[in-house]
Amino acid sequence: MILEARNVEYAYKSQMGRKVLDNISIQFEEEKFYTIIGSSGAGKTTLLSLLAGLDSPTAGKIFYEGEDIKGNGLNYHRKHHISLVFQEYNLIDYLTAEENVRTGGTDKPEELLLKVHMPQETWKRNIMQLSGGQQQRVAIARALASNAKVLLADEPTGNLDEQTAAEIIELLKHTAHELGKCVIVVTHSRYLAGEADEIVQIKDGKVETPVIYSYSDI
Amino acid sequence: MNCFSLAWRSVIRKPAKSTLLFLAVFIISLLLLSGISGGKAGILVQDSSRQAIGAGLLLERNMANRRQRMDELSKEIGDKEGSLGGYHQEKIIVSGFESYLGWTDNFFETLLMEDIKKIAETEGIEDYNVTTIATAAGPVNFTRIEDEDVDQHGDPGGVTLIGNLDMSMDSHFLSGNAYMKSGRMIEKGDRNVCVISEELANKNHLEIGGRLTFCDCFNEENPAVYEAEIIGIYQVNQPIISYMSGDTYRSENIIFTDLDFPEKVEGKENDPLYERAYFKLADVDEYKAVKEAVKRTDIEWERYDLIDNNGNIDVMSANFNELEKYSEILTWVISGAGLVILILIFLFWIKNRNKEVGIMLSMGVSKIRILAQILTEALIIVVAAVLLSFLAAPKVSELTADYLVQQQVQNAEEQDLLDEGKVASSDESSDEKSGQKIQDVHTEITSWMLVQDALGIAGLTVISVWMAGFAILKKAPKDILSEMS
Repeated sequence: MILEARNVEYAYKSQMGRKVLDNISIQFEEEKFYTIIGSSGAGKTTLLSLLAGLDSPTAGKIFYEGEDIKGNGLNYHRKHHISLVFQEYNLIDYLTAEENVRTGGTDKPEELLLKVHMPQETWKRNIMQLSGGQQQRVAIARALASNAKVLLADEPTGNLDEQTAAEIIELLKHTAHELGKCVIVVTHSRYLAGEADEIVQIKDGKVETPVIYSYSDI
Repeated sequence: MNCFSLAWRSVIRKPAKSTLLFLAVFIISLLLLSGISGGKAGILVQDSSRQAIGAGLLLERNMANRRQRMDELSKEIGDKEGSLGGYHQEKIIVSGFESYLGWTDNFFETLLMEDIKKIAETEGIEDYNVTTIATAAGPVNFTRIEDEDVDQHGDPGGVTLIGNLDMSMDSHFLSGNAYMKSGRMIEKGDRNVCVISEELANKNHLEIGGRLTFCDCFNEENPAVYEAEIIGIYQVNQPIISYMSGDTYRSENIIFTDLDFPEKVEGKENDPLYERAYFKLADVDEYKAVKEAVKRTDIEWERYDLIDNNGNIDVMSANFNELEKYSEILTWVISGAGLVILILIFLFWIKNRNKEVGIMLSMGVSKIRILAQILTEALIIVVAAVLLSFLAAPKVSELTADYLVQQQVQNAEEQDLLDEGKVASSDESSDEKSGQKIQDVHTEITSWMLVQDALGIAGLTVISVWMAGFAILKKAPKDILSEMS
């Protein structure tokens, strides 16, 4: 087990203390590809934010390799333990594909760009000149550059066509199974959810067991 | 990828934001330098002008002592006619009553040359000049300038002679009101020479080297005619105002001569009437010390007034102190406005880079490191802008200083007009004030000013980035990422 949410609760102050996550406990392991599903507002992205250390739970704790992530600080957790991929790619717009991968912390971006099947002629291009699929590949390459053991992705195929989405899903599966990382993906995509080793379904702020999902849930 | 690499790429590849900051910093730096140098220019102009004008001490008769001496001599002579010590008493009958009329001669009125020479020996006195009283003399071989519409019956029909030992220290020339058009000034040792006005020269077609002859216009029985060589022609900015009326004393008819010439024409050779003596100080900064030393000279001080001939310096000092104050205010205003402008620019920067900040935070980059990158970007641009402003600063600061100085001079002139008629002023002080023209304003951009400017701009930048950065520091990463989506 590499990442664990234990009795985690989260409530927005602005919503009169309504719990978005209610006593969630869940464990994640390396070399596995997880998807978190649930209807809009169920708390998927909030859970991902807490796992990423972008925010703190109002109750409960997040553990990384058995250690509370607050121990070394959330910044440290984000820098060394996890890497993030977003639906909007979130690349730095004044850098090239290669330079964006470098910001992940590697001196050899070429290897990673090859790994995510980026054509070589695109490496030196500004990322604004790349297609959505190419940008998401660069974002994944950047996430891989950090050597973090956990890759968290929020709707990584949300803006992509089916063909590209399928390629990105293969890339994420490869990251989990071949590179040995724990990949956790929040998604609405039924297809993507179906590709996961394990599916975590969130409903009304709680984890549903067993996982039974319908089209309306995802 | 380190902080500088990212900052450099951001500066180069986002030219719009870089240009905005570059222009803002360039202008702020330029104005700041102009403000700093403007104040110093005021001091420089003040100092150089003080030295150029040359503060001095003026020796004149003490009028109260003159009255007292006349009374004492009158008492000594008693109720009879007689002469004593240059004072003369004559019996007259007015309305059947016997009375005595008293008058004085040059011997009584003059400043004593031996006293003048004693003062001139004081340490700190560089040079001195002696000026005679304005003496009327009849023109013989030339025609004076007259106002045809004025009845000349009561006028002696002469011109005015003013003798100088060294004409360069005559009050009209010291003040800058009178200046040489051609030829040279009268110097020590000159004999039978004169400097005439340009108008008089034009009217009589006179040239340097020509000779003018004069007679005693008050004594027609005296047949003597005295000749003086024209060695220079002068011009005035404003007419010289005399305390005597009539065309004899009008500005164009004033002829400067060597010191001994007027007394000869008046028929009183070796009986001069020295009206004032001017002592030029070697170092204006030693003014007070020299004045005190002069006061210790062993002469009969009751006879004299020692006048600070630095009234214009005081006025000018006050003006330029104002200039320095204005420059200081300007510097503070520019700094304050610059700070506000820079804060707004950096708020705009950060607002437009919310996404980048969110990405960085999600990658575990600390907020301080993000601010450091923004500061590095800013400093790269600031260094370029400040260096360029250094190149442009000399010209701009000169224009600014020139503008400020002209404003000050204009204010001073307006104040003079307001004071006109309210305060008593002699013709000399009027001349001095009217001669208070600034010919050139020299500004200097020193290394220290550049350092001050660079430090000031760097300080403003750091403060601005820090203050604008609060927008980042106070937000949680999730909030920034939420704003992004």
